[in-house]
Amino acid sequence: MLTALLIMAGIAVVLGAALGYASIRFKVEGDPLVEKIDAILPQTQCGQCGYPGCKPYAQAVANGEADINQCPPGGEEGIRKLADLLGREFKPLSEEHGVEKPKSVAFIDEQTCIGCTLCIQACPVDAIVGAAKQMHTVVEPLCTGCELCVAPCPVDCITMEPVAETVETWKWKYPVVEIRKAS
Amino acid sequence: MSERINVEVSYALPHRQELIRVSLAAGATVSEAIAASGLLAKYPEIDPGGANKLGIYAKLTKPDAVLRDRDRVEIYRPLIADPKAVRKKRADEGKVMKKGGGGADEG
Repeated sequence: MLTALLIMAGIAVVLGAALGYASIRFKVEGDPLVEKIDAILPQTQCGQCGYPGCKPYAQAVANGEADINQCPPGGEEGIRKLADLLGREFKPLSEEHGVEKPKSVAFIDEQTCIGCTLCIQACPVDAIVGAAKQMHTVVEPLCTGCELCVAPCPVDCITMEPVAETVETWKWKYPVVEIRKAS
Repeated sequence: MSERINVEVSYALPHRQELIRVSLAAGATVSEAIAASGLLAKYPEIDPGGANKLGIYAKLTKPDAVLRDRDRVEIYRPLIADPKAVRKKRADEGKVMKKGGGGADEG
């Protein structure tokens, strides 16, 4: 009787120690699902989904608060990837959040820029170089094309220019295989 | 052992923007970062302290300002348009200025 009790207690201690060690050794920082969703999102930080940035939207999707079709810059491809990751049905982009556009970057017309810094304050990724009464310039590699700088400009000198498809910007298209009905 | 700080130096032209990472000793100044970036040799037209004002992240600073880690030193170019003339032109055309252009260009 005593032997059985001791054996059970011994097993409990050993397993407890193993679990305790594992929880420290394999500790996961943050929610891995949020990270995976965030990696699919285009990181434009444009806020068109209704959340302040891509990470908050990823968190909302992971918690089931937001749907997967609220990201216009990610487009259909992004929705397909999110549907694959989360095991959900693909659905078309929600119209209230905007329409998919070709990737663009902001361009400042130097003839009209008055150096007011309003676009710099609006830029979520610090892609505009400039200061008060100095020329403002968009740094193309940093610009995500979120269009948040266009509206604040008091002299309408910012336009969105589509990015030409080059070897660096070309991406694999999502393969769409049409299923034919068997007759 | 002296600590190192990593900063970026940027000089932006409409279709060509330079963004150069430099590693400097802690306590380095804006002008040291620009010297280390090599931009002055590449673009001889840059005139720090003259036509080209300097700043850190959209705030104008003096060339001897001390940098902090992960700052972005920015070399600015002067405006082409006269803000007053642009505003007057827009007013004549009957367009409204949104938000009054902010406080930055008023003073």
